[in-house]
Amino acid sequence: MTVIASAQGIALEGSCPSEDAEVLLQHLASTPAATIDLGRCESAHTAVIQVLMAFKPKLLKVPRDNSMWRWVHPVLKSED
Amino acid sequence: MNDFLRQFLIESRELVLQATEGLLLLEKSPRDAERLDTVFRAFHTLKGGAGIVEFAMMERALHSAESLLMDARSGKRTLNPALVGDCLTSLDQVSRWLDTLEQTGELPVSVGEPSNAGMAASQDWTIDLLGRHPGATGQAATAFRFTPDSGCFYKGEDPIARVSSLPQLLALEIEPAAPWPPLDEFDPYTCNIVLTGLTAASASEISAQLQSLSGESEVRALKAAEASTTPILIPDIVRKVLQEQLAVLDVKQALGAPARIASAGLTAANAMRFCGLAAHAENLARATQQSLAQNSSSLRDAIAQLLRAQTVAPDPAPAARAPGGSAAPLRTEMSARTLRVNAEQIDALVRLTGELAVAKNAVGHTAKLAQSNGDSIAGLLKDHHGVLTRLISQLQNAVIGMRVLPLRSVFQRFPRVLREMSANLGKPTELIVEGEDTEADKTIVEMLFEPLLHIVRNAVDHGVESAEQRRAQGKPAVATILLRASRAGDQVLIEVSDDGAGIDVERVRKVALDRGVASGEDLKGMADSEVIDLVFAPGFSTALHVTELSGRGVGMDAVRSAVERVGGRVSIASRLNAGTTVSFSLPYSVMMTQVMTVEAGGQMFGIPLDTVVETVSVTKEAFSGVGDARVIVHRNRTIPVIGLEGVLNAAPEKSRTETDATIVIAAVSGQLVGLHVDRPGERMEIILKPLDGLLSGTPGIAGTTVLGDGRVLLVLDVIGMLQ
Repeated sequence: MTVIASAQGIALEGSCPSEDAEVLLQHLASTPAATIDLGRCESAHTAVIQVLMAFKPKLLKVPRDNSMWRWVHPVLKSED
Repeated sequence: MNDFLRQFLIESRELVLQATEGLLLLEKSPRDAERLDTVFRAFHTLKGGAGIVEFAMMERALHSAESLLMDARSGKRTLNPALVGDCLTSLDQVSRWLDTLEQTGELPVSVGEPSNAGMAASQDWTIDLLGRHPGATGQAATAFRFTPDSGCFYKGEDPIARVSSLPQLLALEIEPAAPWPPLDEFDPYTCNIVLTGLTAASASEISAQLQSLSGESEVRALKAAEASTTPILIPDIVRKVLQEQLAVLDVKQALGAPARIASAGLTAANAMRFCGLAAHAENLARATQQSLAQNSSSLRDAIAQLLRAQTVAPDPAPAARAPGGSAAPLRTEMSARTLRVNAEQIDALVRLTGELAVAKNAVGHTAKLAQSNGDSIAGLLKDHHGVLTRLISQLQNAVIGMRVLPLRSVFQRFPRVLREMSANLGKPTELIVEGEDTEADKTIVEMLFEPLLHIVRNAVDHGVESAEQRRAQGKPAVATILLRASRAGDQVLIEVSDDGAGIDVERVRKVALDRGVASGEDLKGMADSEVIDLVFAPGFSTALHVTELSGRGVGMDAVRSAVERVGGRVSIASRLNAGTTVSFSLPYSVMMTQVMTVEAGGQMFGIPLDTVVETVSVTKEAFSGVGDARVIVHRNRTIPVIGLEGVLNAAPEKSRTETDATIVIAAVSGQLVGLHVDRPGERMEIILKPLDGLLSGTPGIAGTTVLGDGRVLLVLDVIGMLQ
């Protein structure tokens, strides 16, 4: 399980496969105000990133800078 | 900058002007298919040139505009002001790049101002992309846009992971392909993204990588491909020359083969230089050497390859071509008849001609000496001097003719300027240009833009009323600005007229008084025309408020001094509610100056004839003193008189008031002044050499020329002398 929901919000860890997209979507549907912790997420499948892009949850911890997040992170920043 | 780029710069500038001019005309008559063709061709040639020098950014910007115009030609788009505006914007951008090229000698590498890429957003995503990532522009070799298949996740693909691991990625943007659906309809397994990016890797490599993924990909090479695949534009006439050289090389005869190879190689290389393809010319020269050394077919192959590789400006939409589109070959022939010559070379020729004229005068002097000595060769010398005089004066005219440019090069910038001015100020105006074929010396033509711009700005800003005011006065809502040039003898006349509000003389009087430009006393005695002339006085500006257009601290006095600097005059006439006309009178050539020689204090001086009004002989009784100054009354005007040698600190003034005197009356900015001289001399046409070195900038001296007997004639700058 790489999507971990807790009282503090949702954390993604390690490499998130495409199946995580469904799980993440359900968590966000049940608690729309949930925050996301990407601090320990190495990489995520495009499907997972799509969910993050579409719902723009508030990022509690930003992902580390690697060849993927370098490009994806700017897209996830909320507008405000 | 190498010759290749220099040529590109010159040609591109011309094409930008041509395209701008054409676009503005098209805006007025959108149905003019022939004009549209001309504009399209200009854009196309510009783009071709950019391709040849491998200026990818410019090529792309022009490509977008070109596609717009192509759509307009085929009727897919209507030619509206927005389209014209977009095309003009891209030309502006090109101009800025050309400026950079001219200043730095190198092709600009960074896009810099993305917002100025104009139509990029709708037309060409690569320009937009480069604009958002200016840091990557220099290295970027390839731009790509990849839209993965919506079902690609089911094939086990992970587009973001794959694309973000593309080699040498410089920028990557991830966007939804369609707006995201609401939460309850969201299907996480439908891929809905577009990936756009820049990389330093080659286009072929990126293509190969993206093709292994399912989806639509678009890959563009940003740097032009290798020379062999770049289309080379060779005019028809050059193509024929190249074919001829092949025929020469094909002659099967051992005798004279090296000579044929050398000659064909030289001709072919020259032909390539003629069309600005210096690199190809060098290739041919190398091939010639090879052919000569090894008796091989290198040269033949090189020429044949050029003929194969070249494309004569392909016409992308021949069907949409209007009848009469045969202008292209005509233009080629025209360009073959003109030569581009460096202006410095022409100036050198002018200087030499001047020296020659001096030498000729010396021959005349010698002839006179011989005659007074009773020498038998005097007659012969005189005859030769006559022939020399005739030939040299023809030479002078021809050389001066080379420095002459039509005023079009200045006038054609105004339609564009006015379009923007009237849009900014919300005052509809129409520009009428007359006599743009009138010619004048290069120096004159080049200095004209700023003063004219100032006058036109003033006309639109202060002269022209708002459309409502104009309607209320029964004038047409659209104001007219007339820019007219004509030639009158050795003068070039330029007029800028508007049909605006005219100058309010009473207001000018008041402002002149308030700003201390003239005293109340003076103003009382002034005619209206003299009062209006005060707008040229330093420190005068009637603008109620400083707007963006006028009032940039450059007053009308700057206009007058710029015009007077080249020996011209400027005047203004105005009628309230009917409009204002500013007239420039400029010398046709600044090289030849007519002077009148005078003697003062034992020295000969030249006075430019255009400042001389008349020469009068007065008796000593005519002088009267006003304070320390001496004046004469001539034709009911009181004219101050100054001793020329006094001003120039020449020999001490003799008490000349005791005898009759010769006074040269000169006009300086409308004021008359009398120059007391010993003796008037002759009138002559000279080539004025400005003072240089230590003496440059000596006030009161316009320049020098050498007389026939070897003496130096100082030509006075009367305006400078009296300041």
